[in-house]
Amino acid sequence: MNNEDVFIIGHGMTKFGEHFDKSPSSLASQALMETVTNAQLEKELIQSIFFGSLVTNTNSQASVGASCIRECNLSIPLTRIEAGTASGAAAFQQAFQGIRSGLFDCIAVVGVEKLSDFVNSSTIEKILGTTIDYSWEFEMGATLTSLYALLTKAHMKEYQTTLEQLALVPEKNHRNGVNNKNAQFQKEIPLERFLSAKRISEPIGRFDPATHCDGASALILASSEFVSNNLKSNDLTEVLGLGHASDHLALHHRESLTALSATQIAAKNAYDMAGISSADINVAEVHDSYPIGEILAIEDLGFFPKGEGGLAVEEGKTKINSEVSINTSGGLKSRGDPFGATGIAQIIEIVEQLTGQADKRQVDDHNFGLTQNVLGTGAMAYVNVFGKKEVKK
Amino acid sequence: MEPPKIWREKRQRYLGIGVKCLDCDYKAFPLTSFCPSCGSGNVQEYKLAEKGRIIQFTQVNQTSNDMMANVPYAIGIIELEDGIKVTGQIVDIDYSLIEIGMPVRMVLRVLSKDGTEGLIKYGFKFIPVD
Repeated sequence: MNNEDVFIIGHGMTKFGEHFDKSPSSLASQALMETVTNAQLEKELIQSIFFGSLVTNTNSQASVGASCIRECNLSIPLTRIEAGTASGAAAFQQAFQGIRSGLFDCIAVVGVEKLSDFVNSSTIEKILGTTIDYSWEFEMGATLTSLYALLTKAHMKEYQTTLEQLALVPEKNHRNGVNNKNAQFQKEIPLERFLSAKRISEPIGRFDPATHCDGASALILASSEFVSNNLKSNDLTEVLGLGHASDHLALHHRESLTALSATQIAAKNAYDMAGISSADINVAEVHDSYPIGEILAIEDLGFFPKGEGGLAVEEGKTKINSEVSINTSGGLKSRGDPFGATGIAQIIEIVEQLTGQADKRQVDDHNFGLTQNVLGTGAMAYVNVFGKKEVKK
Repeated sequence: MEPPKIWREKRQRYLGIGVKCLDCDYKAFPLTSFCPSCGSGNVQEYKLAEKGRIIQFTQVNQTSNDMMANVPYAIGIIELEDGIKVTGQIVDIDYSLIEIGMPVRMVLRVLSKDGTEGLIKYGFKFIPVD
């Protein structure tokens, strides 16, 4: 180990779903304390916390982090990071930078969202509207779902991607989610249900999008020095590479409707930093908020050639223990999508896979894992690459 | 939507005013005080082309409360004749008749209504060209 190495030493999350009896900060506290227990640390060793959340004012409380650390009886620096539906991954990357810079040795990251408090679905549409170009897309009548419908139609037209191939994405993810005790929906949905459902924004059907729910997730990151001083021998997950890139906020300003260039650039940067290629990745959690999201992701991350994502899904190349195991947790679709908590839950799944704790979802080869978290229709993308490392004392 | 925002954007929304660079000829929408391409401050407002064609489209069934009166409606990306691309609703045509590449024209319509006593927001939408 050298001083620049950054490790994930603890992880924890609440079940995702509807928590009508819990406030946003109590969900965050629950995930944080579970993570402290998981890391077998004294919580006072945490030096700083980054919170990832999109909705600024659930229950009129601006900084959910402030009430969370009060509940946990901590008085340490805290910062809330907002990057839309990718806020969790953004907070994670800030924590990484905090340790890599040498400023801190041990940082917690918490992602939280409480969306069941918004009982009117129009309010959620408006929140989602803030992740696209609010003035020139949302106020003109477009919604996040309708923009993903445009991306879907463009891919179908250009590459002959079929509705069946698209429906196989959530069908697979629900099958994976059956074995994830923290998933909102631990049940299979037959392919036919996706295909026969009413179209909410043609060609997207009612069962295609991920659901917007409640949940919190947390990680503790530490430097190699902190690991040698405070932890016993263990299999740890090492953060090998990060990538973060942006693109035009509005779809109509983009060069292409059949690729997310932010994902492509972020992936290249993450692979370069890690010194590996897309072919080395065994297991990946990608942003499948809509079926086309996963198909674009597996192409733009370099797992499959452009235009062949739909075919790869159809041929079963993304199932557990296939060419590359995609969304073994069930993805956003089956796990549920509490925006800020999603990016961190993706990393938790990779940590469990790389350290062999994924139980019935466990993939056989688990040397390298990847997460991809996207803001809106791809205006920002965060890609992280992880490896496993045996730490001996 | 807040009144100052409506006031600030009214010429863009009501008239389709964009900006062009007098140094490099780059055109942009929405308005900027400098050229997004070359960075020059030597820019001039101009009226966007009124006609264009549909690049891609779909239908909206669920949106925020102030626009729900119009659902279901068609929304699409339109490429105007001056090369500018915008997102807008496609109206005055049955959804099943809309096609990619179809020529359309910009018109002024009501975008949203904030209840029965709130502000009415106007903006451009697109209709088929005869």
